[in-house]
Amino acid sequence: MDRIDANLYLNLVRGGAAALAAHRQTVNDLNVFPIPDGDTGDNMYMTIQAGCSAAGNTLSEAAKSVSTGMLMGARGNSGVILSRIFAGLAKGLADVPEADVDAFSRAMLAGVEESYHAVAEPVEGTILTVFREGAQAAAGSKDLGEYFDLLISAMDLSLEHTPEQLDVLKKAGVVDSGGAGLLYIAEGMRDALHGKSPVVAGDDGFNGAGDAAQNSATNTMAGHHQPSAEMLNAFTEDSVLEFGYCTEFLLRLQRAKVDLETFDETVISDWLSQNGDSLVFFRDGSIIKVHVHTRTPGEILNHCQQYGEFLTIKVENMTLQHHENHMDERFKKGRKAYGVVTVASGAGLAGTFRELGADEVIEGGQTMNPPVQRFIEAFDAVNAETVFVLPNNANILLTARQAAEIYDKADIRVIPCKTLGEGYYALANLDTEAGDASAIETALTEAAGEVTTGLVSRAIRDSGTVHEGEYVGISGKDILASDETPEKALLALSEALEAGSSDVILVFAGADARDPDALQAALESKYPRAEVILQAGGQPVYEYILVLF
Amino acid sequence: MLRLFTDTDTDITPAVAAEYGYRLISMPYSVDAKTVYPYVDFDEFESKKFYDMLRSGVLPTTSAISKDRYIEYFEPEFAAGNDILYVHFSRAMTITFNAMDQAVAELKSKYPGRKFYEIDTKGITTISYTIVREVGDLLKAGKSLEEVLKWAETEVDKFAMYFFADDLKFFRRSGRVSGLAATMGTLIGIRPIIYMSQEGKMVSCGKEKGRLKAMEHLVQQVADLGDDFKSHRFVIGHTDAFELAQEVGKMIRERFGDDFPIEYVVANPTAGSHAGPNGVGVCFHAKHR
Repeated sequence: MDRIDANLYLNLVRGGAAALAAHRQTVNDLNVFPIPDGDTGDNMYMTIQAGCSAAGNTLSEAAKSVSTGMLMGARGNSGVILSRIFAGLAKGLADVPEADVDAFSRAMLAGVEESYHAVAEPVEGTILTVFREGAQAAAGSKDLGEYFDLLISAMDLSLEHTPEQLDVLKKAGVVDSGGAGLLYIAEGMRDALHGKSPVVAGDDGFNGAGDAAQNSATNTMAGHHQPSAEMLNAFTEDSVLEFGYCTEFLLRLQRAKVDLETFDETVISDWLSQNGDSLVFFRDGSIIKVHVHTRTPGEILNHCQQYGEFLTIKVENMTLQHHENHMDERFKKGRKAYGVVTVASGAGLAGTFRELGADEVIEGGQTMNPPVQRFIEAFDAVNAETVFVLPNNANILLTARQAAEIYDKADIRVIPCKTLGEGYYALANLDTEAGDASAIETALTEAAGEVTTGLVSRAIRDSGTVHEGEYVGISGKDILASDETPEKALLALSEALEAGSSDVILVFAGADARDPDALQAALESKYPRAEVILQAGGQPVYEYILVLF
Repeated sequence: MLRLFTDTDTDITPAVAAEYGYRLISMPYSVDAKTVYPYVDFDEFESKKFYDMLRSGVLPTTSAISKDRYIEYFEPEFAAGNDILYVHFSRAMTITFNAMDQAVAELKSKYPGRKFYEIDTKGITTISYTIVREVGDLLKAGKSLEEVLKWAETEVDKFAMYFFADDLKFFRRSGRVSGLAATMGTLIGIRPIIYMSQEGKMVSCGKEKGRLKAMEHLVQQVADLGDDFKSHRFVIGHTDAFELAQEVGKMIRERFGDDFPIEYVVANPTAGSHAGPNGVGVCFHAKHR
């Protein structure tokens, strides 16, 4: 098999669709984070299925027909990207009567390029990466058989690495669902190349490509996405709209509303990107295809209708789509060995802890101590054999220990860090390969002990020499400084704590900090030997948190 | 006749390459799916602009070049009856050399009389830069190819490179450093020290608190491992952190004197895509890596 003609191309697409049909539930089950969106397996399947009824006498006609079908049928982020991959292939195969391996390889690379244009901000560790790395690795193959072998092995490897590239995948313990779907499609295409009949479906009711087409139609008509009663109960009278609506539509630009020749669609895409998230947007002639997440789909639709009329509209409450899954053993990473739960308040601090590797950051702190129940939920969410807990506050330490005693589904180790600085430095020193759980616990505890933390806060009443309204510098239980501005108080506190002998002076500026830039300059000139780092912590209560190490 | 090749991952600029007669193979990186071939798509590397882009949050990707591209580079030389010596960046860091091997095998069967030699610098950027130039110097001085290959067998492992990065997210994303603690992310104020191993891989060998300690660590590595480094090139590489690099240079001078030259080199964009901005490294002749 050294050339692809129209017939073989269509068979490849059908083979890909059939393989995905057999595994779509597996792919759906990978779609767990960060926020529930349409089921990836279903979306990709419906997308490729929309290309299966294509026809064409020549290869370029067939490829174009597949592409058009898929562009119109694309659903969800992964579906849209999949359709763009095939659109790129069609572009690459335009004017190619029969594709040898080099021509096919070039077309696949055109698909890579096209797929990256499908999203406003390409993210690595997704279907984009899996396809790109596959197509790049397979380039230069001597024949089509070798091409698909290399493509699939590189995609497989790339897929395996997606959790390293995307924390959300790592935390959920899965590989990228879109990438997995695409791998099944590639495998199906290889089978079709070798003339193997499509995989017999599992128990999801799909039997190969031909039947699949019919089933798909039935399914769509019957409303496969019609949620079950159980799913509807996921959003009750008291639920809070957490994730918004996944909103997709095809809009046909209307001559009566816009000048088709001169119309610049970025007017719409710019507006959408300001009024929604996860935007996927493209124009194909007079048709605009949109996928966007929004809390107010009505506004989105009303706005866009001023440019044309809708061909299709789909709006789904994303909260309903979040459901428990069972996973294919192949993708199941199982429980993690180690996880970390910590406590912080302030978006900056929470983000810092997450970047350092905390799996769960419980909102809480000085004035808001989280309950035991919240820790239990966090332990469940982490799903690790051993969970290290960094409470970061003396008033929360006990709660964490209580939760650890009650919890019997994992080995919980509470590190006695009593300040955010201690928790920060402990986590920064976490090395999960440094030994067993006890060795790591010891290392974390020791690290927490190497830090000095100071806090600056506004006095809410007179106390000793301190007057209400002044800013005090505290370390442990000692008030070491007080002054009229938080910056002056911090400088005085830094002196009292001998900041000059530290290597790093790290300052988290609170939500109410006034002049952090001037403070940084003052600290740098006062302590030239140390590295001064100022971070926006956004924490309440403390104008500044000073961490010395 | 022997024709020399090296690649842009070695930090060699076209001007330096020309001094030795190296032809440059351009190793690409991509930003927003737009692939850029250094010194093909631009004449001069605007390092400040590139690293500022990384600072602004852009994470470029890098990709292997294809077999065909290698053939485009090599075939004209074989066709003209020349042999090739390619002094390249580390095989252990990329899959691009699989494509090269295929290209070379194909060309060898087409041009059975022709020879292809390679020296793996087992590094990237500064360390490769140093070795590429040392090789060029030897050939310029009249050493034979055999002598140079013999030299490389033992000497490549004697160029050490130790460096620190400012933000680990670039390395973590590329997955190309081993020994980094599993969850290390953006470590504010803590810098892992990374070295280029004898296998040609980046390996973490500890971490330091604060910039000063990290710089001192680099200087201490020179003290511990340095071997006759004053009679070889001493290079300080950086990813748009020239001031920091100069501070390291000053510390090196204070410790080891000023009777040898220190060269400053900015890391090429393809390698810089993996290291991120504000990193500094020293490369020197050592007892071992």
